[in-house]
Amino acid sequence: MTKIWAIAWKELYTTLRDRNLLLIMFATPLALSTIIGLAFGGIGSDTPTLAAIPVAVVNLDQGLDVGALMSDTTPLSGTQAITTTSVPTGFAFNVGNIVASILLSQPISTSGVISTAGAGFDVSALQCNLVADNDTSNNFQGSLDDLLAATALTDPVAARTGVEQGDYAVAVIIPADFTQRFLPAFTTDTTPISGTVASAIEVYGNSGRALSAGVVRSIVEGIVNQFLRLTITLEASVDTLLDTFDLTRVNTTTLSSTLNNAFTTVNTDTFAVLGCLFQSGINPIRLEQQPLDKLQAGNRFARILVAVGSAQAVFFALFTGVFGILSIYEERKQWTLQRMLVSPTGGSTILLGKLLGNLIVVTVQLLVLLLAMTLVASLILGTPTFIWGTNLPALLTLLLVLALCVSGIGTLIVGLARTPEQVQVIGPMVNMAMGVLGGAFGFSLPAALGQLSLIYWGVDAFSKLAANETGVGLNLLVLAGQGLLFFVAGTWFFRRRLNL
Amino acid sequence: MSETTIMVRTEKLRKSFKRADGTMVDAVKGVNLTIQQGEIFSLLGPNGAGKTTTISMISGLLAPTEGDAFIGGHSITKAPLAAKRLMGFIPQEIALYPELSARQNLSFFGKMYGMSGKTLNQRVDEVLTFIDLADRQHDRIDTFSGGMKRRVNIGVGLLHRPQLLYMDEPTVGIDPQSRRRILDTVKQLRDEQGMTILYTTHLMEEAQELSDRVAIIDHGEIIALGTQNELTQQVGEDDRLEFTIGDQPLAETLAAEIQQSVDGVAQVRLTQPEAAGDRLSPGRITVFAKRGRRALPDVINFLNRAGVAVQAVEVREPDLEAVFLALTGRALRD
Repeated sequence: MTKIWAIAWKELYTTLRDRNLLLIMFATPLALSTIIGLAFGGIGSDTPTLAAIPVAVVNLDQGLDVGALMSDTTPLSGTQAITTTSVPTGFAFNVGNIVASILLSQPISTSGVISTAGAGFDVSALQCNLVADNDTSNNFQGSLDDLLAATALTDPVAARTGVEQGDYAVAVIIPADFTQRFLPAFTTDTTPISGTVASAIEVYGNSGRALSAGVVRSIVEGIVNQFLRLTITLEASVDTLLDTFDLTRVNTTTLSSTLNNAFTTVNTDTFAVLGCLFQSGINPIRLEQQPLDKLQAGNRFARILVAVGSAQAVFFALFTGVFGILSIYEERKQWTLQRMLVSPTGGSTILLGKLLGNLIVVTVQLLVLLLAMTLVASLILGTPTFIWGTNLPALLTLLLVLALCVSGIGTLIVGLARTPEQVQVIGPMVNMAMGVLGGAFGFSLPAALGQLSLIYWGVDAFSKLAANETGVGLNLLVLAGQGLLFFVAGTWFFRRRLNL
Repeated sequence: MSETTIMVRTEKLRKSFKRADGTMVDAVKGVNLTIQQGEIFSLLGPNGAGKTTTISMISGLLAPTEGDAFIGGHSITKAPLAAKRLMGFIPQEIALYPELSARQNLSFFGKMYGMSGKTLNQRVDEVLTFIDLADRQHDRIDTFSGGMKRRVNIGVGLLHRPQLLYMDEPTVGIDPQSRRRILDTVKQLRDEQGMTILYTTHLMEEAQELSDRVAIIDHGEIIALGTQNELTQQVGEDDRLEFTIGDQPLAETLAAEIQQSVDGVAQVRLTQPEAAGDRLSPGRITVFAKRGRRALPDVINFLNRAGVAVQAVEVREPDLEAVFLALTGRALRD
């Protein structure tokens, strides 16, 4: 073990003594991240920073023809059919329209009575704050209209393409049978709701804008949950009514008249509860769903530095991983490898020492970069700011699994290549591919592609931890799995490099 | 000869390499050697003769294709760690980390030999004093001169007090003063510490000065082995007269004519001039004679009569170079 540590220490020491290498390992990613952070994040600002998230809204909901539905309803035994003279056939009740309108902050436009109600229904007029005006613990005081820059589209394919091309951060696609699945069972013969209705709405996010996607997803869930609550209440009330009263004694003429009045008097107040979904005290789900206040807290520069800086750190660490291991060829050339092999030191000891050394070097590089970026953020913001969140054990674990992954890839590349020249070609190619897929160059590919890169998983986890979220288990699992796989396979192939 | 006094023994050591065209070539062809404890044994041969391959197999760097080597009785193929504990290795290259200081290099390689703590520190101090670099111990290797690097290179090989020291052409590319110092060190290690030294060189003078015994290797085979006297006796006690001729082609009958015409000439060899790149390698006539200086005027007269223009003459007494020439028909430097 002493020999392994001696070799590992020598790797670390010789790396840190090389000024040119230090420049590439530390100064370059730090400078790039700072410049990008300043260019896109600006310097310290208290204004809402997640404002105007570009969202494409596609509402495919066919709605439900309420007039037809009520005419078709089989009368209860001993009753007369309800006549709804003011709910003509063709009047559609469309929940998808309401959800879309809330997201678009536009007057609700649906067929039937609601659209002809004169004043219509302008959600933006409600000016619902995401948090209460008197809630001083939160910074964000804007409305949904401020938060989202939503655009209505009709084609879901175009919406997804727009997300992939970066035109939108998120696409919200409401399915055709949304209303049908949503309304209580007594109104229709369709299958009752099972599971969460929110799952029926597709929230298609851009892999490079995980934060924005998370916010929009949370909003959609909030809206749908609010509907769900109303639906369940209504269903329970009707069930109770049916159980309690003798409906044969209901005056259907009076009921028809009442429904008629209800539909003709729909106005802003009717749907106020749907609009102010995030008002404090009304929607208890808000904080559990998405800690908007926490997401908004902190500085835009710091948040960009987290995303860009972590991507750059991992990207440059990939080069250290490859070229650190490649030093085996340099050792062979200068005969220090032969000198070790002639000593009573087994080949496996030399191998482990080299790999451990590389792992330590990569870990140190990532650690130093994270700390240096914290320092940069603190200096630029003028106040000590630890930008990586408060979950230090998770942060450290993430760092270690990333280092394992990076070092493992380096070992595998050097192990598979036949010559150092091959490594010098293949290594950068693989690293660049990882960078492109993982969004290290400022643009993002679809999440399905991004997930092929360890940079994606790393940046996603760093962003979540920086926002003090806890859901990084999958990231850690994927990275640790990849790391072990690369490391074991790499070690297997790399053993051959000790043969002279 | 008892096994306890034998430091190195090789048995039919052979190494084959695959050529680019897929065919196999034997770099070393079944070498059998025995090196006694406390002797300086030189492996002499031209570049590419198989010296480094042989030493690499004996030191465990290369696995033999066939055969085995035993160091202090330990098989290098079956008990490599036990065999390696006994040996120190001084390669032809400066096998040091240029970013580390002399002391750090010594400490690092000391740890590779299982040394640690106070023992290691003390031994590093001793070696630094021995190689006369104690005052530069904290300087990086890449700030050292070639000679100083060579000394550290040797120091690393001596650190764990090996019983056997391999020195692979340790004087290549250094100034005469540093070379002198290294040769003195080798003799000192044998005389004062009783170390067994396996020394490879292509320089006949070094082998002559240092060696108790010499093995001459060519094309992967030991072609002569023994003390210097034993080897020179193999070619007799003839002096060697070297005549350098220009670009004039030499008649094939010339050798026989000189041998017949001049008294005391035992053997004559002709080397035709040939183009070597953009330069011409001059032709040579090598004459072996009992009393070379006495035969010299007669040979010159004969060559004048034959119309051969002599550019330079050199008279050499019997040495290892002559042995090599006699055995291979080529000079060591060819």
